[in-house]
Amino acid sequence: MKNAVRDLRTARKLSQQQLAAAMQVSRQTINSIEKERYTPSLPLAIALARYFGTTVEEVFDADS
Amino acid sequence: MQTRDFTRSRWWMPAFCLFLGAVMFGAFAIGDNVGQGAVSFGIMAALGAVFAFGRRSETLQGLGGPGRDERWAMIDLRATALAGVVTILFVLGAWLYQVARGEDGSAYALIGAVGGLSYVIAVAVLRWRG
Repeated sequence: MKNAVRDLRTARKLSQQQLAAAMQVSRQTINSIEKERYTPSLPLAIALARYFGTTVEEVFDADS
Repeated sequence: MQTRDFTRSRWWMPAFCLFLGAVMFGAFAIGDNVGQGAVSFGIMAALGAVFAFGRRSETLQGLGGPGRDERWAMIDLRATALAGVVTILFVLGAWLYQVARGEDGSAYALIGAVGGLSYVIAVAVLRWRG
C-alpha cells in the first residue's frame, strides 16, 4: 500500500531504526512498509499516524 | 507489535533444539541405537548453535525467536500454511501411491486424517472466536 512513512520519517530526520524502536517493531518492518511490500496492521498504522501527528488516511493511501 | 516472552528470546530456539536432540537421543538409546542417537543430537546441537550465533541474518533471527514482530507473525502464519499444504499434498500422494501398489497405506491415511480433521476443527473454532 502506498504510504508517506518515508517522507514523514525523513522530514523528522529519523532513521528507520529509531522509528522502529518507537513503534516496537524491527527495522526491516519499517523498511518493508516504506517499500510498500508490507501493509501494517491497524494498530501499527494508527500508532504510526499518532507518532507523526497526523491521520491514518494521510499516512496510507488505501485507494492506490 | 513486538511480543516479549521466553519463546521470543534469543535462547528459546537453541534450547528447544538441545531439548529435541536429547529426546531424539533418548528414543534411539531406548531402541539400542546409541550411535545414531548421538549423531541426531549432534545435528540438533549444531542447528541450535546456528540459531544462537547467527545474529546477522534476519531470517535466522525470525526463525529463532528474537526480532519477531507483527510482520514476522504474518510471515510465520503464511509459511506454516504453505508447509501444511505441502505436507498434506505429499501425504495424499504417498497414500495414493501405496494404495495403487497394493500396499498398506494406513500410516499415510492416519496422518492425512489427523491433518484434515485438525484443519476442520481449527476452522470451526476460529470462526466461532470471530
